[in-house]
Amino acid sequence: MTLVLRILLLIGALFAMGIVINSVRKSKIRISDSVYWVVSAGILVLFALIPQLAYFFSGLFGFMSPANFVLLLVIVLMLIRIFHQSCAISKLTFKVEQLSAELALRDKDSRDEKNLDFVTDLNQRTRV
Amino acid sequence: MRILAVVPAYNEEACIASTITELCQVAPQVDYIIINDGSADRTLDICKERGFNYLNLPVNGGLSAGFRAGMRYAKEHGYDAVVQFDSDGQHRPEYIAPMAQAMVNEGANIVIASRFVTKARGNSPREIGSKLISWLIKTSTGQTITDPTSGMRMYDRGLIETYARSFDFSPEPDTISLLMRRGAKVVEIETEMRERQGGESYLSFYNSIMYMARTCLSLLLFQWFR
Repeated sequence: MTLVLRILLLIGALFAMGIVINSVRKSKIRISDSVYWVVSAGILVLFALIPQLAYFFSGLFGFMSPANFVLLLVIVLMLIRIFHQSCAISKLTFKVEQLSAELALRDKDSRDEKNLDFVTDLNQRTRV
Repeated sequence: MRILAVVPAYNEEACIASTITELCQVAPQVDYIIINDGSADRTLDICKERGFNYLNLPVNGGLSAGFRAGMRYAKEHGYDAVVQFDSDGQHRPEYIAPMAQAMVNEGANIVIASRFVTKARGNSPREIGSKLISWLIKTSTGQTITDPTSGMRMYDRGLIETYARSFDFSPEPDTISLLMRRGAKVVEIETEMRERQGGESYLSFYNSIMYMARTCLSLLLFQWFR
């Protein structure tokens, strides 16, 4: 790994960290959702500070250069995040569906009640 | 002083009835509201059958979403204090009165029912986690909380408002620490708690790891910027 790549990694990670912290501060992301980003940034910092890690893993898996390994690592991290994102969206879609059904049922109930009131009202009036 | 016990319940059919019955018998001066957090079991049916006072969230939103719904209820009905009360039978209602007493006497904003005021914590994973959180709170606020993960806490009127309106405020130790840094006074009273009386804990292995990661990160990093 060249010094330039290491510095780039470090700057990228710190920049990402800044964005995450600022987003938490501005109530744009929940802390539990930010755990992933902080941990990922931490991993990149680790690789920038201890390039031996990248050498070790690229040797282990037979990569041509440690830089390639770092790139793959970033891609894998992103794939994991995207998959979790998809799961979260599925869950949210289901919840929205349930909520709208709930609202529709409530609306129907309250309309039926109104009709019922109207009918009893009418009955009483015709009786008098 | 009007006190509301907020009782979040997610799949608690095994315990909810006995918990509420005991609460009403032992602390009749305290109102309660069950928050059925989209349970998939008979929790809602039991609430209906027994005529309990409950809010029914149609989808599961998690503990803090349920708790915040309870805080909004408390705010709209003008309660002076809210006590967070587990539905699984861990918490003893006889401590609600002394907690309220401590809140009034010591002018506290938060009162925590602590298991470890005089007793020391052991070395189970849960208790080591609790020690770690205590230590992190101590370093950031300078104050000692002997039982930060106790789920039985009382909040005053101002905090009911704060919880009802704020983004990402959970009834968890990192939020307590944040509130302390903003000047909230926290008092602990000594209590005993039971084991969960039935049903299943939300804290699986994965959830425990996420809980600790979130809490530590929040205490170590984000609290300085919020």
